[in-house]
Amino acid sequence: MLEIIDCQIQAKTWHITLPGIQVHKGELLVVTGPSGIGKSTLLHWLLGNIPQHVVIKGQIMLSGTDITALAIEQRRVGLLMQDVYLFPHLNVQDNICFALPKNPQLSSKKQRRLAALNMLEQINLGHLASRYPQNLSGGERSRVGLIRALANQPQVMLLDEPFAALDPSTREQMGAWAFQQLALQNIPSVMVSHDIEDIPASAKQLCLADYYQALEQK
Amino acid sequence: MAATIRRIGLTSAWLLVSLISLLPILGIVVGLWPSELVNIADIKPFLAYQGLSVSVFMTLFSAIFSTLISLYIAFMVYSQYHLSRRLQSFEKYLAPLLSLPHLAIALGLVFLFSDGSLFFADSGLPRKGLSTLIIAIVIKEVPFFLLIFSAIGRQLPIKYWLLQGKALGYQDYRCWWFLVFPPLLKQSRLALLAATAYTLSVVDISLLVGPNIPELFAVSVYRWQSSFAAGDQGLAFWSNALLLILLAMSVFILYAHEKFAFAGCKALATQGSRFLIGKINPMFKAWLPMLGLLTAMMVLVFALWSFGLNWHGNWHSDGFALTQLTPKLWQDEWLFFALPLQNSLLIGLLAGLLGVACALLALELQCQKGKYWPDYYWLLAIILPQLSMVLGWQIMHIWYQGGYHSGWIVLSHLPFTFAYAYLVLKGPFQNVEPGYELLAASFGYSAWQSWWQVRFRLLLPAIFTAFAIAFSVSIAQYIPTLMMGAGRVTTITTEAVAIGTGSQQDLIALYVLLQSILPFMAFFVAALLARRFRGSMGGQDVRDY
Amino acid sequence: MTFRLFKSLNSGFVLCFLLLFVVKVNADEELKPVAIVEENSDQWQQTLKAAQGQSVYFYAWGGSKAVNDYLRWATRELAKQYRIKLIHVKVTDPSEPVSRLKAENGRTSAIDLMWVNGENFAYLKQQGFLLGDLWTAIPNAAFLAVDKLPITVDFGEPMHGFEVPWGIGQFNLIAEEAVYPQPQLSAKSLLVIAKKHPKTVTYPRPPEFHGTTFLKQLLVNLSDADPRLYQLASQQAKNELLPVLWQYLDKLHPYLWQQGQAFPSSAAEQLLLYQQQNLSMAVSFNPNQWLKEKSTKQISKSSVRRSFIDGAITNSHNLAIPKSAPSPEAAKVVINFMLSEKAQQEKFTGVWGDPSVINSLFDDKATMPAHPELHSSWHVLIEETWQQRYGG
Repeated sequence: MLEIIDCQIQAKTWHITLPGIQVHKGELLVVTGPSGIGKSTLLHWLLGNIPQHVVIKGQIMLSGTDITALAIEQRRVGLLMQDVYLFPHLNVQDNICFALPKNPQLSSKKQRRLAALNMLEQINLGHLASRYPQNLSGGERSRVGLIRALANQPQVMLLDEPFAALDPSTREQMGAWAFQQLALQNIPSVMVSHDIEDIPASAKQLCLADYYQALEQK
Repeated sequence: MAATIRRIGLTSAWLLVSLISLLPILGIVVGLWPSELVNIADIKPFLAYQGLSVSVFMTLFSAIFSTLISLYIAFMVYSQYHLSRRLQSFEKYLAPLLSLPHLAIALGLVFLFSDGSLFFADSGLPRKGLSTLIIAIVIKEVPFFLLIFSAIGRQLPIKYWLLQGKALGYQDYRCWWFLVFPPLLKQSRLALLAATAYTLSVVDISLLVGPNIPELFAVSVYRWQSSFAAGDQGLAFWSNALLLILLAMSVFILYAHEKFAFAGCKALATQGSRFLIGKINPMFKAWLPMLGLLTAMMVLVFALWSFGLNWHGNWHSDGFALTQLTPKLWQDEWLFFALPLQNSLLIGLLAGLLGVACALLALELQCQKGKYWPDYYWLLAIILPQLSMVLGWQIMHIWYQGGYHSGWIVLSHLPFTFAYAYLVLKGPFQNVEPGYELLAASFGYSAWQSWWQVRFRLLLPAIFTAFAIAFSVSIAQYIPTLMMGAGRVTTITTEAVAIGTGSQQDLIALYVLLQSILPFMAFFVAALLARRFRGSMGGQDVRDY
Repeated sequence: MTFRLFKSLNSGFVLCFLLLFVVKVNADEELKPVAIVEENSDQWQQTLKAAQGQSVYFYAWGGSKAVNDYLRWATRELAKQYRIKLIHVKVTDPSEPVSRLKAENGRTSAIDLMWVNGENFAYLKQQGFLLGDLWTAIPNAAFLAVDKLPITVDFGEPMHGFEVPWGIGQFNLIAEEAVYPQPQLSAKSLLVIAKKHPKTVTYPRPPEFHGTTFLKQLLVNLSDADPRLYQLASQQAKNELLPVLWQYLDKLHPYLWQQGQAFPSSAAEQLLLYQQQNLSMAVSFNPNQWLKEKSTKQISKSSVRRSFIDGAITNSHNLAIPKSAPSPEAAKVVINFMLSEKAQQEKFTGVWGDPSVINSLFDDKATMPAHPELHSSWHVLIEETWQQRYGG
């Protein structure tokens, strides 16, 4: 379970004070709001990527552990961005291998590749294994991106407008498929989105504009 | 604990990088420090030197003009490799073009094309003149810029920009000028600086094919510095001061050019100009093969010379027989160039590797700080006049009494290999999306691991190119090797330069070819490896959308 | 009768005058060293012993294959005879060791032995960078042909034991026989040839040493070897003698290679152009270079040597040891070897062809008719004025 306690986003001319937020396993929280309000910033803060232009205070609890002070690599938080950032120098299979956690069971390269291939085949994308990211379609890229992120077995999944670059029909398909996968993983997820149509009905919503306060000009 | 190690690591990294970048300044200050009391009065004979103003103007003009011409030619050649479907990669063809030393190209050029030469009894190309100099320089600079462009362009989504532009209705050449040229120009800034500084202070080519009534300024500086007749050292001091001013001026001019070019492109782009400006002739496709042919001819000429062919006169006169070719010279000299060749190789490898490593370090440190220091600071080693700078190092080295082994030579090459590696790597380095490392961190990779497995890996093609250039730069260094090594360590270049001051045609040709072998191998291997390892945007089979 | 008396008195005066002149000139030269160490003396034996196993770093121009090959021969001989390792450090410019010595400023040098002459020697001697008493410390210096050759003064600066002559330079032209049929040249005949064969005549751009010497030869010829050229240049002499040269050059330049708008940067470059048959003549200081180059097929078979009718300006090129050299004993042994009959013979008859400086090998026929060097002030003057008139 993901808990965000006493979160405050402070900029020079405005600040946002959030209530306590809880996202349980298998739940999806969608952060909405007008452009530029800080949705992505909040997400990146959850990841551990401290933003430069605002100050965010608060506490993050993940499964009971305080991860606020931890570095990104220690948090076990996954991220899927709009630009999928599949590593161009690795093929799809190796991209997923890269994300596989260090596991005594998966020590040899061969084992890891096999595991990666399995994951691909589970979602019917095994035929993409030896292709390079530049040769994938937009939808394929998004799917592989999500699978890669999930392959890392994160405790929380963050999604930053993951389907914005896709065309409407693919977006609908991707969205449905993604939430299905997330539900399978049974981890809390936080998603930033512009498009109201993206949001599944079961998701919780957090609109940042509701907590926005402009500071008086001194 | 880990934090302290990190702090110590960072501090020592900054120290290392600062030292390397400060060496040039230190060298110049010590080297130019006048040992005798230099009179302000000495400036009068200096300024009164006949032909000084023409000489200075010619030098500045040739430096800027040849650099810009090479830039635009290289840019238009590069465009052909992006605008046409068939020609995709050309890096491997650059290898031979880049390996021949500058002087050899000048030598071959005048032999083949100037007055009274092999092909022309009376061509328009004077044996010694400003135009000859500029052409000789351009021949070498165009492939150099092409190499830089290919290193930068690999990281840029050029194909997508062109696609976008074409979709908006612009012809491809206009897309090229408005969309691709500005970022490419910006990232080539360092390369431009390096090329201009080189041409401004080059002595050997100026002596061979440059005009000498009046002579180019760098030659005058060199002559005064090498003369110990009364008053010449005073002239040397003031002429060095002027040289520094010229160098600063050329930095300024190049920056101004960049601003104008940008403004020009922007103005034309925002106007939505749809009329014919800068139509790039597909003729530029022929440039590289032409240069290749030219280089091949020169190599052939040098090879024939080294095998004993004495080519008297021109095509029309009688008197050459292929039967007189003999490998005797090669056999005789083998004993004498084997060791220098080996020295060159080892020094080059070390200096090249260290240079690339330090360049990466410098880039990474600045990236973490968030602030990038001005470009010309890192390139000081290439911008400042080499003779005075190395003289300063020599003086410091003598104070230190550290002996004359190869380690010092590697150290003296390091500022140069570092500067060139930096100039090649800066663009690609800044183009690596930070998202990749962010993702790797989210996967649990520590900072170190993600740097190596992601950033380094993505930069690998550029790193190969940078290493090849750094290696070749080290091979080509003459003054540092001579002044720090004091004759204890000979490289192929010290031998070749000494031979080059003589008149033994076959021997000169032999050493020119030897000088070219090592860089050629480096560039060739680097090109192969760069193709094999993909960069951020790179690799084969990039889909066209 | 009075007339004859007057004439004989006159010639007597002239004779006395000349004698005084000669005596004065001799007094300026180095007094013959009285006690040169002998080969089999204890002192020299000690030097030989100390030298064994040492390395000698010899800074010498590396552009001539002939010189390089000769030095390789010398290295082998020295290793065999004296167990000394001679290392030829190939410099491109004779000023490189000078600036190194200047930078070292008295600390232990990297240079053991250097090839030096001219202005560089004067500078080094004045700055006190050179080891003195070489003539007394080296046995074979006794055999130097000081009577027959002008080898005690280097370009106006007396050697005073700070350097030792190694070989002789005599200014000559290497030329195509068909273009230069007469064995001796004058300024006038050169102008005629230049007009007849335009664009094939030229000279290295002053202040390159060969170029300035070419101009000096012309000046000597044009002024009929005016005696004032061998003294410090006075204002009057300048105004009277130099304009002759400039007038001549004004006439000559339009017929030169590149119409006098460009010149070869060095004698070596000019020789390259000559080899490639762009020029009909090249310049040299080695009187036998033409022969050696022909035999190695570097230049055409119809090449000959030509010199000026007044005689070839002659000087010596020399060896010196820095005061702070790390192995001065070995360097002295090397110099001794270089002055030995065997080494001088090999230098002359081998690939190099550089004339010898020692008595036993001195051959009137081997050297060309010599002409003394002008006073060094004229050298500087010619360079400066040339630059003003033609160099800008």
